[in-house]
Amino acid sequence: MSAPSLAPFINKRPWLLRWMKPLANWYTNAAGYRKLGLRADDLLPEENNVVQTALKRLQPQEAYNRVFRLRRAMQLSMTHQLLPKEEWTKPEEDTPYLSELITDIETEMAEREDLEAMVISKRQRNANASSGH
Amino acid sequence: MLSRPTACRGAQRAARQHVLRQSHQRRGLAAPASGSFQYEAGEAKGVKYASRDFAGPTTTLALVAKAGTRFQPLPGLTEGLANFAFRSTERRSTLRIVRESELLGASLNAYHSRENLVLEAKFLRDDLPYFVELLGEVASKTKYQPFVYNEEVLPLINFAHKRFLGSVTEMATNSAHALAFHRGLGVPTASASQTPFTKYLDAEAIEWYSKVAYAKPNFAVVANGADAGEFGKWVNEFFDDVPASASEQSAGKDQTKYVGGEERIAHDGGNAMVIAFPGSSSFTGKFYKPEIAVLASLLGGQAAVKWSAGFTILANAAAPGTKVKTTSAIYSDAGLLYTTITGSAKGVAETAKAAVDAIKKIASGEISSELISKAKATAKFKELEHGQDARAGLELTGNGLIHNTQPYQIDEVAKLIDGVSEESLKSAAKQLLENRASVSSVGDLFVLPYAEEIGLKV
Repeated sequence: MSAPSLAPFINKRPWLLRWMKPLANWYTNAAGYRKLGLRADDLLPEENNVVQTALKRLQPQEAYNRVFRLRRAMQLSMTHQLLPKEEWTKPEEDTPYLSELITDIETEMAEREDLEAMVISKRQRNANASSGH
Repeated sequence: MLSRPTACRGAQRAARQHVLRQSHQRRGLAAPASGSFQYEAGEAKGVKYASRDFAGPTTTLALVAKAGTRFQPLPGLTEGLANFAFRSTERRSTLRIVRESELLGASLNAYHSRENLVLEAKFLRDDLPYFVELLGEVASKTKYQPFVYNEEVLPLINFAHKRFLGSVTEMATNSAHALAFHRGLGVPTASASQTPFTKYLDAEAIEWYSKVAYAKPNFAVVANGADAGEFGKWVNEFFDDVPASASEQSAGKDQTKYVGGEERIAHDGGNAMVIAFPGSSSFTGKFYKPEIAVLASLLGGQAAVKWSAGFTILANAAAPGTKVKTTSAIYSDAGLLYTTITGSAKGVAETAKAAVDAIKKIASGEISSELISKAKATAKFKELEHGQDARAGLELTGNGLIHNTQPYQIDEVAKLIDGVSEESLKSAAKQLLENRASVSSVGDLFVLPYAEEIGLKV
């Protein structure tokens, strides 16, 4: 599920982005998931319909890689180890591969909700005409 | 006040006069004089369109693309494309298309035949611009997403495949086409095995094919019940984004050749036999033979009137409980005249023999001229009714536009059928027997006869 985020607000303001970027980088590194070879999107809670649907829509190769990363991270966590440094997730690899799908699915669902709540009014031209058909 | 006997006498006299009049002055069958049968064809920015202003509050609009199973370069592409129609486009989602069309009271449909892929919309006359835009959008902006293919398209193709395997008639018909034309027109309309969608088909391939199928030279837009000027204006406006030309495709391009042969398939879901002969191309094609249509209705098999077996030869010759039907399937450059027989294995075997005997009888001229004139009238009626039926007319017209840039003019077809002589019918039947037939039997092969046993050359 996509959580509320300040990122779009900051991205629009270059001066603020320059301020926040180092801070954000520091935070992501400190969070430590990259040292286990994970990506940010691997950490999204998946116990809901939206994410389950998104997971089904992943390409087979992507889905396989995701499971591999999760299992490797689990193994590392149990043995209290980190990956060797060259195997850490690089910042450019940390792509929002799942969030994009989640946004799409949420838009779809919102559209369905909107259409359910739609109020229908006849076009003026048709409303005036006597009901011929 | 009229007394009863007087009224009766009057009626008798009227009946007698009617008979007399008929005997010396044959009533001309209603010629479709009204111009409403005629399609007005045009071209807007390279997109071919045709329309006829059929009086009435509704319109039927169709996009006919030259992308039937005949033209697919890989198996299953046509089915995939048909099932991808009216799904999410770059502008709106599947759900929105469905809801909006429902609000306008329209019905949307996509289907394919051997030669064409048809996207069809039926709606109230006022909504023409909306649906022309929708078809333009489907043709140029559909998103071919892999998950839509997996979640929605693939199950439909799978169902079609299962239905195909379960239906003996469909299997026999497709097998006869395959025997007659091999590749091209012989390609089955549904997947006969799972190979197409396990091996060749995916969203990416379908997207690539959509660029070929919906390229300007390969499709036509046809409307029934729309003003030509207005229709042309909207076509001009909404088909800007379709590709102007497509990469050259070799599949199905060659002139179809008739081959013929025999195939026998064991099946425990019933018995069907299809006996097929080379037929006539569509009126818009080069090999149009009106006598084939008359021959088809002379052989016939199904009654057109209630409480009677009908006049057709096969209806009278068929074994009880057997269903017989003769079809003259017409395609752009070839045709197939085939008799489909279904029922119990024994009945099918008997009726198949009777069918061949009937053709031999026609060839030797043992058919009364009364029967022939009945067949001519039926053939003409069927043809005209076919033209009035919006759906068939749309597809035929679109097909004609794509292949020969000439719409299907129903009036001329009716005239040609009127001109069929007994002699030409006889020689057509003789020719059928001289050629190799295509015979396909599906079902209980122990009972169903070989083509040679019923007196055919294969």
